[in-house]
Amino acid sequence: MFRFPATARLVVVGGAISYRALFNWTTPPMFIGTLLVGPLLQVFFFVFLGRELGVADDRFHLVGTAVLAASASCVYGGTMAVANERRYGTLGAVLLSPRHRVPLWTGRALPYVLNGLFVSAFVLTAAALVLGLPVPAGALPGLGLVLLAAAGACSAFGLALGALGLRFRDVFLVSNVASSGLLLLTGAAVPRESLPEWMRFAGELLPLTHAADAARRLTAGGGLDGSLLGTELAVGAGWGLLAVALLAVFERGSRRRATLDVM
Amino acid sequence: MRRVLRLVLVGVRTHVSYMSRSPIEITFAVLVPLVYATLAVYLFRAAGDPDRLLTASVGAGLMGIWGSVLFGSGGAVQNQRWLGTLETLVVAPAPLALVLLPITLATAVIGTYAMGATVLWGVVLFGVPLDFAHPLLFLLAVPVCVLALGMMGLLLAATFVLLRNANALANPLDTPVWLLSGLLVPVTVLPAWTQPLSWALPTTWGARAVHAATSGGDVITPLLAAAALGACYALAAVLVLGRVERRARAAATLALA
Repeated sequence: MFRFPATARLVVVGGAISYRALFNWTTPPMFIGTLLVGPLLQVFFFVFLGRELGVADDRFHLVGTAVLAASASCVYGGTMAVANERRYGTLGAVLLSPRHRVPLWTGRALPYVLNGLFVSAFVLTAAALVLGLPVPAGALPGLGLVLLAAAGACSAFGLALGALGLRFRDVFLVSNVASSGLLLLTGAAVPRESLPEWMRFAGELLPLTHAADAARRLTAGGGLDGSLLGTELAVGAGWGLLAVALLAVFERGSRRRATLDVM
Repeated sequence: MRRVLRLVLVGVRTHVSYMSRSPIEITFAVLVPLVYATLAVYLFRAAGDPDRLLTASVGAGLMGIWGSVLFGSGGAVQNQRWLGTLETLVVAPAPLALVLLPITLATAVIGTYAMGATVLWGVVLFGVPLDFAHPLLFLLAVPVCVLALGMMGLLLAATFVLLRNANALANPLDTPVWLLSGLLVPVTVLPAWTQPLSWALPTTWGARAVHAATSGGDVITPLLAAAALGACYALAAVLVLGRVERRARAAATLALA
């Protein structure tokens, strides 16, 4: 008989249960309005702004902003995965678990990866259909991979920000600023060549930057750039490691100071 | 009339003080518009259009004001509901519209932080010269624009009374109003069918007046149009609120909706 390995169960089932519990307040109109319609309209805003200024073509703005659309669910979701446990008073119970923290928190991030992938794919498809941007059929598998890598990296970034929720009271302030920063630094909306050196460097270290470039290349028929995909995966892994390290450090600190549930 | 004016002034002062102490309000009102201002400045620079950098800063400020009004007004009713004070406000002798008006005006006033921050940001960081075509009219256009936005917020707040999740409607309303009002992109680049929608928004005329005061052109006509449209929105809000309030009372759903 098939036995679901315990670690895989913790990742998949634990992640799914936490997602349902933390987002029990979400309704279909909220999901559609916030995660699908909002980012889609943001694509139109940047495409029309781009057309007016003539800085880059429609493809640049459309694809860049569509890839960025994953950030809404991944960054805020990752933050809420930790911060809302604290807010709802369930964080103590979660951290009482003797299980290893890596699968525990990885499971938390998994639903946001899938959510971000779905949002990006929807926004890219809808915007391309409305604005008449052709996407080669052969590019679709590569595009799926790139969007998955982007959503994964962005969720790890969100989890790292969420880890700050163990230490700081108003972590949503950080996630709001970080989310806006992604718009500026990843080159989703403004060509990175026009940014100063330090901003370009910051963009290199952020999720979505390399995925946006890879997706643009793919939609233009340029094929999958392995180095860009690999860099995006490496950036995601880096943020994932940082998230696990921060969560471990802040968990120990909270236990020592008995401030786990202090709001 | 004096009592009404006093209610509004005291209400605005109270809510501005309250919101000014909220880190999240300040983030939305200052930091997020600064990111958009930076983005706009780099885009305008890349486009080889440095003469319009002040317009870009002012446009980002207007975007911030709208964001503050949208989420503030959308959240106004929801916040009162969560705090358990909505019923008290509804049964107060003052009409509900007059109780909500100071909240929506306060969100617009908080939004002006965005205008100050983005203009200052442009000057300090990017050396954007404060070369307003009509400096005095700019100082007149901004409050009128803020007032018109507050009226639009009142209408939003009125419609949000019945909604359990006002954010579901508020979140996607951010960018279409930026677009349709020409806050950063002129409305002429949009498809022709969107023009009537643009004309119906006080934000369009308010933004036109502020941009004209910044870079030149007729300020008074769009300013009057923004004020007139704002008054229409306020009237519509009063009518909607009356209807919504009666429905919520009859169905006993005020605290649940």
